[in-house]
Amino acid sequence: MIEVTGLTKTYGKIAALRGVDLSVASGEMCVVLGPSGAGKSTLLRCVNRLVEPTSGTIVVGGLPAPRGRAELRELRRHVGMIFQDHNLVPRLSVLKNVLTGRLASMPVLTSVVQLFPRADVEVALHALERVALADRAMDRADRLSGGQQQRVGIARALAQQPQVILADEPVASLDPKTARVVLDDLRRAAHELGIAVLCNLHQVEYAIEFADRIVGIGAGRVVFEGTPAQLDDVALARIYPGLTAARARSGEVAGDQAEAVMQP
Amino acid sequence: MSAMRLLLGGAWSAGRILKWVLAGVAAIVVLVWSARGVNLSFAELVRGLPWVADLVSRMVPPNLGFLERLVRPVVETVQIALWGTLLAVLLALPLCFVAARNLSPSLALFHFMRQVLNALRGINEIIFALIFVAAVGLGPFAGVLALSIHGAGMLGKFFAEAIEEIDAGPVEALRATGAGPVLVVVFGVLPQVIPSWIASTLYRFEVNLRAATILGMIGAGGIGFELVSSMKLFQYQDTATCVLVILAMVMTADYLSSRLRARILAS
Repeated sequence: MIEVTGLTKTYGKIAALRGVDLSVASGEMCVVLGPSGAGKSTLLRCVNRLVEPTSGTIVVGGLPAPRGRAELRELRRHVGMIFQDHNLVPRLSVLKNVLTGRLASMPVLTSVVQLFPRADVEVALHALERVALADRAMDRADRLSGGQQQRVGIARALAQQPQVILADEPVASLDPKTARVVLDDLRRAAHELGIAVLCNLHQVEYAIEFADRIVGIGAGRVVFEGTPAQLDDVALARIYPGLTAARARSGEVAGDQAEAVMQP
Repeated sequence: MSAMRLLLGGAWSAGRILKWVLAGVAAIVVLVWSARGVNLSFAELVRGLPWVADLVSRMVPPNLGFLERLVRPVVETVQIALWGTLLAVLLALPLCFVAARNLSPSLALFHFMRQVLNALRGINEIIFALIFVAAVGLGPFAGVLALSIHGAGMLGKFFAEAIEEIDAGPVEALRATGAGPVLVVVFGVLPQVIPSWIASTLYRFEVNLRAATILGMIGAGGIGFELVSSMKLFQYQDTATCVLVILAMVMTADYLSSRLRARILAS
């Protein structure tokens, strides 16, 4: 579903990605591990072109690289994205936030006056049911807890009825219990709806627990690829150079103070 | 040991002290020069005091019978402020997106629009009113146009600054869904700026009402006309009534608008 070949991205003189090959199948939960600054976030953002790749090809659901705005929006329509800080619109209701996932498929004029096709509202409500938050549909988004807001973020992505979901550190700001609920929602989206999920994490234990397949990124390259069972100490040392496997497993892999602070 | 300690902060080198002394001397020179320019004179003020007292004594008691004639001008003043504010909002709305650094189509357009807004804001509403009185003739409509043009500059800047302060996350999230630019603004930007926009608009109405009370002095409608004519006819008791009515209007508007703004910003 996602085919990445020879992807590079340079910011000025700094190379964030130095030739990444990666593929994710429909219904697969693929977790990307790697230290901060390894290029995980850039990799994800290249897939829906929030970041324009320097070279290489990315094919999503058979759609080639977009030419022009219309094709770009068509690509993004099929790719849901989940952010570390959920990025909900705080003053809108939960339901409207989920409905924003359908904006690309809805008529502009009626949407502006907050008039939405019944079918789209149904899709949004159904997405909320999947994350068990249908009863909060009419609440303002900023009334919800951090974990609930992140699940609304998942519902927004599901409302797009996407072929692919990109999740950029979706549980970095959540406590372990909530994090597991969110990751379980994501894995069920992959397994039950056949969506290809590409998810960045920095906690090795979550990756082992939830991933179908793990890709390790170090210094802009793929340094490991395999099942959670194959992620042994040698592999961890390749992904996190300079850290012992035990420390890597214990979650001290963030490598950078800012991310470490967000750990509950 | 002294019980007091002077804390000036930083190291006070000889060079730094000299700089401050020079700055102080320069400030005194400018102030004395300006005082001579404006004939600043306490002696004149003291000599004039009896005349001030005389004028005030002619103003009391205010002529309450004049109130009846002020009803229509007061209503007109409010009407001028209302339409002046509404037209300013309508003008500012399309301009503010161009004048917001984070949404502007290009950096050049952003700088251009900021300068346009600065120019509109920089020219006083009375000057605009003089121009519009010449263009559309005497009367309240000239006042409305003056307030809308000056107000558009002010509101355009406030609206643009509110847009620049929004959280970029939701906007990126909406772009990532494939939504077009109009819907990204309607669902990602507007919900974040609306409270601040309404507060700015209420404040603008308050300012416009104050401005509308003097527009009449140059023939652009409102209560200012009655104020000036009463003075020209030496009817100082009528003038006093005008001043009191203006005071009541401005205070009422201030009170209502600040209460409303506080409620909107708290929600």
